[in-house]
Amino acid sequence: MSSQPGKSLTEAERDQRVLELFHQLIEVEQRLIPTGLHVFGRPTEVGERADMLRMIASFDRPEAGVRALPDLVSENLGLGSYDALLKSASLNQSRVLEREQVNNLVSAAIHEFLQGGSEVAVSLLERTSNINRQDSMPVFALLEQISKQLETNNEVEALLRALRGEFIEPGPGADIVQNPAILPTGRNTHAVNPYTIPSTMAFDRAEAVAGNLLKRYLAENGRYPRAIALVLWGLDNIKTQGEGVAQAFWLLGVRPVRDSLNRVTEVEAIPLEELKRPRIDVVMTVSGIFRDLFSPTVLLLDKAVRLVARLDEPPEMNYLRRHVLEQVGNDVCRFDDAVARVFSNAPGNYGTNVNFMVTDSQWERDETLGDLFVTRKCFAYGRDSQGCAVEGREARAEMDQALGRVEATYQNIDTFEIGITDVDHYFEYLGGISKAVETRAQVRPSIYLSDSLSRDGRIRSLEETVRLESRAKTLNPKWYEGMLKHGFRGVAEIESHVSNTFGWSATADAVDDWIYTGVAETFVLDEAMLERLRTLNPHSAHSLVGRLLEAHGRGYWDADVNLLGKLREISGSLEDQLEGVA
Amino acid sequence: MKSIVSKGKAVKLQVTVLYVGSSLLAPLKNAEREISREYKLDLRVAAYNFGSPLNQHEWSEVDHDLAASDVVFVIHVMDGENAARLVPALERYRERHHAVIVINCMPELMRMMRMGSLDVGTFFRDDSTDKKKRRGEGETRGRGDRERKKSNRAFQFLNAAGSWVSRQAGGRRIGNLSKGRHGHGHYLKLVDKLPTILRFMPTAGRLRDVKNYLYLFCYFLQPTPRNIRSMILFALKHYVKDGRLRKLKINIPAPEALPSAAIYHPDAPKLFETFEEYRKWYLRPSPKSKLQSSKAKQLALDADSTVGLLLMRPQVVSKTTKHYDALIHAIEDEGLSVIPAISTLMDNREACQNFFMDTSKSPTSNVQRPTSKIRTTDKGQPTMDKQHSRVSQIVSLTGFSFVGGPAMNDSVASSAFLRNLNRPYRSAVSLDTQSIEAWRESLTGLNPIQAGMQIAIPEIDGATEPFVYGGISATDVEPVALEDRCQRFARRLRRANRLRRVPRSELKLALVLFCFPPTKGNIGTAADLDVFPSVWDILKKLKADGYDVEIPASSEELRGRLLGGNSETFGATANIAYRMDADEYRRLCPYVDEIEPEWGSAPGRINSFGNELLIQGLTLGKVFLGVQPTFGYEGDPMRLMMARGGAPHHGFIAFYTYLTEVMNVDAVIHIGTHGALEFMPGKQVGLSGACWPDRLVGELPNFYIYSVNNPSEGSIAKRRSYAQLISYLTPPMENAGLYRELAALKDLLLAYRQTTDEREREGLFHTIEEYSRTLNFSAGLPPPPPAYRLPKFNRFHSVPKRLDPI
Repeated sequence: MSSQPGKSLTEAERDQRVLELFHQLIEVEQRLIPTGLHVFGRPTEVGERADMLRMIASFDRPEAGVRALPDLVSENLGLGSYDALLKSASLNQSRVLEREQVNNLVSAAIHEFLQGGSEVAVSLLERTSNINRQDSMPVFALLEQISKQLETNNEVEALLRALRGEFIEPGPGADIVQNPAILPTGRNTHAVNPYTIPSTMAFDRAEAVAGNLLKRYLAENGRYPRAIALVLWGLDNIKTQGEGVAQAFWLLGVRPVRDSLNRVTEVEAIPLEELKRPRIDVVMTVSGIFRDLFSPTVLLLDKAVRLVARLDEPPEMNYLRRHVLEQVGNDVCRFDDAVARVFSNAPGNYGTNVNFMVTDSQWERDETLGDLFVTRKCFAYGRDSQGCAVEGREARAEMDQALGRVEATYQNIDTFEIGITDVDHYFEYLGGISKAVETRAQVRPSIYLSDSLSRDGRIRSLEETVRLESRAKTLNPKWYEGMLKHGFRGVAEIESHVSNTFGWSATADAVDDWIYTGVAETFVLDEAMLERLRTLNPHSAHSLVGRLLEAHGRGYWDADVNLLGKLREISGSLEDQLEGVA
Repeated sequence: MKSIVSKGKAVKLQVTVLYVGSSLLAPLKNAEREISREYKLDLRVAAYNFGSPLNQHEWSEVDHDLAASDVVFVIHVMDGENAARLVPALERYRERHHAVIVINCMPELMRMMRMGSLDVGTFFRDDSTDKKKRRGEGETRGRGDRERKKSNRAFQFLNAAGSWVSRQAGGRRIGNLSKGRHGHGHYLKLVDKLPTILRFMPTAGRLRDVKNYLYLFCYFLQPTPRNIRSMILFALKHYVKDGRLRKLKINIPAPEALPSAAIYHPDAPKLFETFEEYRKWYLRPSPKSKLQSSKAKQLALDADSTVGLLLMRPQVVSKTTKHYDALIHAIEDEGLSVIPAISTLMDNREACQNFFMDTSKSPTSNVQRPTSKIRTTDKGQPTMDKQHSRVSQIVSLTGFSFVGGPAMNDSVASSAFLRNLNRPYRSAVSLDTQSIEAWRESLTGLNPIQAGMQIAIPEIDGATEPFVYGGISATDVEPVALEDRCQRFARRLRRANRLRRVPRSELKLALVLFCFPPTKGNIGTAADLDVFPSVWDILKKLKADGYDVEIPASSEELRGRLLGGNSETFGATANIAYRMDADEYRRLCPYVDEIEPEWGSAPGRINSFGNELLIQGLTLGKVFLGVQPTFGYEGDPMRLMMARGGAPHHGFIAFYTYLTEVMNVDAVIHIGTHGALEFMPGKQVGLSGACWPDRLVGELPNFYIYSVNNPSEGSIAKRRSYAQLISYLTPPMENAGLYRELAALKDLLLAYRQTTDEREREGLFHTIEEYSRTLNFSAGLPPPPPAYRLPKFNRFHSVPKRLDPI
């Protein structure tokens, strides 16, 4: 960001800059992060439960008759809806103060709840925020139940019962903020009926997220993206009842239609007058797991693409149709080939292998990772014009063509618990497809992620997300000290975060130099820290240092020469330690 | 399907039946044959399974048959896509069809029903205009009103009979079924009451056709071969009006009835309406009986060795039970007894209650084994012995949800009932909407309809082991068993049963850890789980529960022994518990020939040493703590670049071969999210014996402790490696907070906000700008999209060598 030194800003401009900085800081500060690991069968340490409970209380839960606390406070203080407050607070200092007022009252209520129980919290909110007891009581009843459930843990008992041939109850799978009904654990986690997705609620929520995605691209580029590559996973689509799928529908401009059994088996076009923007060409890469768990949905997505491609609409308002017609015209290829947009692995295969190739340092040329992605993912699914199932037809040329038009890549993220540097799957998918686009479109796409659990359906660029994850987790003492409490495994976790961050360099060049420098300073150059790591888990400590050197070696990190020298020295001494020389 | 050439003067007639499932085809073909022969007709019954969307080619065949049909039956069609094509086709041939009889279909199809004066489409229209009129003009009392009332009641009944499934599903939203009235009770009553009701209904006037419909419905509800024959004949007799049948004297027997709940056994002469009757028969002395060996006799109907099966009633009634029969015999061949109960479509609870639970208060006559003592003294969990269950496992063969039937699922009621019964609940699949050939050839396995209906929904009830055990061949008219699958499934049931029967001190268990990427530092890879303390806790609890296990002094010692031991000697990641030489491996593993083309001759280069395959792990008494090998292609760019993986490598196979053939463990417990077994090549769901996860896990009961926030990958493990998931909690979460320089920056921002002095504010602003820049914060509008960044400099001068080649 160029700050144009020397040129003085007006007061209003300065205020605006400070406000924006403030929001960025708050974003880090309020990010929920895990503060350790779980031990099977042990209850969560009581510790600080306030943040999580406040987060749980920040969502409407119509199924339990519970309204979100911030909304109750905001509305009863006469500040209007909390959503509107969030929106205007990004531009307006006085609204920021009102938002803080609401948040402080909510925090105070949670604090009171933890100290004295529901009754005290309810009374407090009655006094401070004019909230009727019958409105706030259900919230605290829920929190009370969750607190109670967290105090006991029967996971080992459940395992023993299963071994004895007893019934293990089914339960939903999600994180606790999304769905407190995951408690108690020790149950048989199940997926969802694929015919129920996307749910009506997911479809409504997706409208905002898809809208924000397009708005952001528009703001940065002055026009809508003609084609977006989407990554769809089973993970978030189970937990959100299909928000990712619904986002694809919105980009295409279709809505799901339920049959008389309430199953989603059809789609219909949203008229352009209603959509008020062009339909986007959407190239979907679904994980092998999504393909398996949502096989009817795969057909539905393909159906949506075919429907949109056949709409008689002007090409400037229907990018998908435009591209399909162009391709049929230019290449004299079949409609069925030109319209392939739903890709996954070959049947019975999973994953892109991009993560394996990256973590094992097995690639040399930059485009190899993108090619690998396409090799693994170029199998088209759906049904052909004759209505016959297409069970993973190898369609490399079609995928190359489709990706060649892509201008933005995107993945929906639904949870705080699994972040983009927590596992290697995010960079293998979103990073892998971005690299594939880069070589095919001859330009690096804009890369976005959503935060669908955020109240306003926020969109972040990949770079912003990597920074946020690094600040909130990898470089945050609260996070790594939490991990180090777990000794051996904790060091492996830290190493794996660094490797996954490296994955974002390898696939998308999305990691700032300061992040690597921060990692080096925090974990390697700090002698006391290095000593801890090498005592707890020398293997992972050695890998971590090696990864930093590799980041530099591959040109992802413009590191200071002295610093590099020290890293090499430390790497050598760790090697000696492992080989028993030292 | 070719049309039948009319022979001689035989009257040519055609009936087309569009149905779902596998119980109707055989009785329909039987009816075609018998009716043609008996009445010297040239009757063709064209039947199509409408369970999944048809392709263009299949549809044109249906269209062709619809064009030539005198009578059309549409039964149980719930597929929106098929319905959307069927409705206009039925309109198109309206003149041609003498009757269109619709049973249990979605409303848009119900409206297409036409029989004589009964035209449901018109009725729906009439009904709505009728109501408006009444509201406007007030009701006229008298005869007309009574007539209307009577006919309305009849129509209501017709509606209830014809479309209960769809009405319920249409009106249902998640969750309210368990609170609301249950429709399945309704259905049961209908089965029993209808014939009586029919006797009191008039045979003339507008109601005549309603009555006829209800007759047809009665025949359909009890789809015995005779009833299905009657159903066809009844429709022909009453609705083919053009004189072709006038000269014939057609006799149609009254509907025959079978009990709505009963126990079936392929070797028995009849259905049993009580468990006592069944027991008497099952324990009968018979020279031919399989139960004569003394061991089997001892087990007969022992509550700890009896599998409760839930069968689909229509399948038994229509005598299309070859697949059931084979599975039942396969289970008995494993030394287990069976109670195969007929369940209704909608609710399995009654059958379970009646036949699987001993409701009499007297204790069961089972011999008490030493293990049961431990079981009953467990604190916390009420034990199943109080329930007097007669079965040790439940296997549903219905392919539907436990409570709710084909179109919905009341998982709350289901799991409440099953929790009370407290026995493992399995749901096995017979191929209903695709042929055996289609499944076998398919790379993906089950089609989307079955994967949704028969796998995903039963899972919500808590079902495990989604085994495909039978189906209907493209050239056949009734389902048959897949013998090899039945045997494997039966053996899995036997192995699961061992865990109940054998004293725990004699059971051998394997705990399997993951290690990815495969370096020492990563042993115990699992999302959000601190694996070694977890395993240590598990070991201690296992010991307390009676298993024979050696407990290291601490979790650190446990880790030290696993990572250390003899690992250096073999250059391995972990201690080597067993060395399997290539000859032994070849002898024990039947798949070596399939692996060698891909991975070279055994032992290969992964997890091997000389001529031996290395099994990584630690033996702790009768518990083996193993380390699962990885995919094996991580470090191999050639293999990584392959679009399709073939076989697992020798080391991977050897690991599971060791568990099943050498150590012969009784169960495996996989620790944490996630490993490689369930992602090995094969069908995606509904595996065959050629799929690698099926081969590897074999008959071994598989338990998998799994992160609760990963239902997607967990479901893959459940479906592809028959895992029983036990969820674990994710770590506590807190706000990230601000630290060091970030906290200082926030202070500066707050100071700026609070300062009113303009000069001071300007000064602060510059400090903020500078400070935020050093902290790499960019303020202002979102940055422009990054330009394509060329490599900064040569990227390859120091790529480090990775550790641990194993």
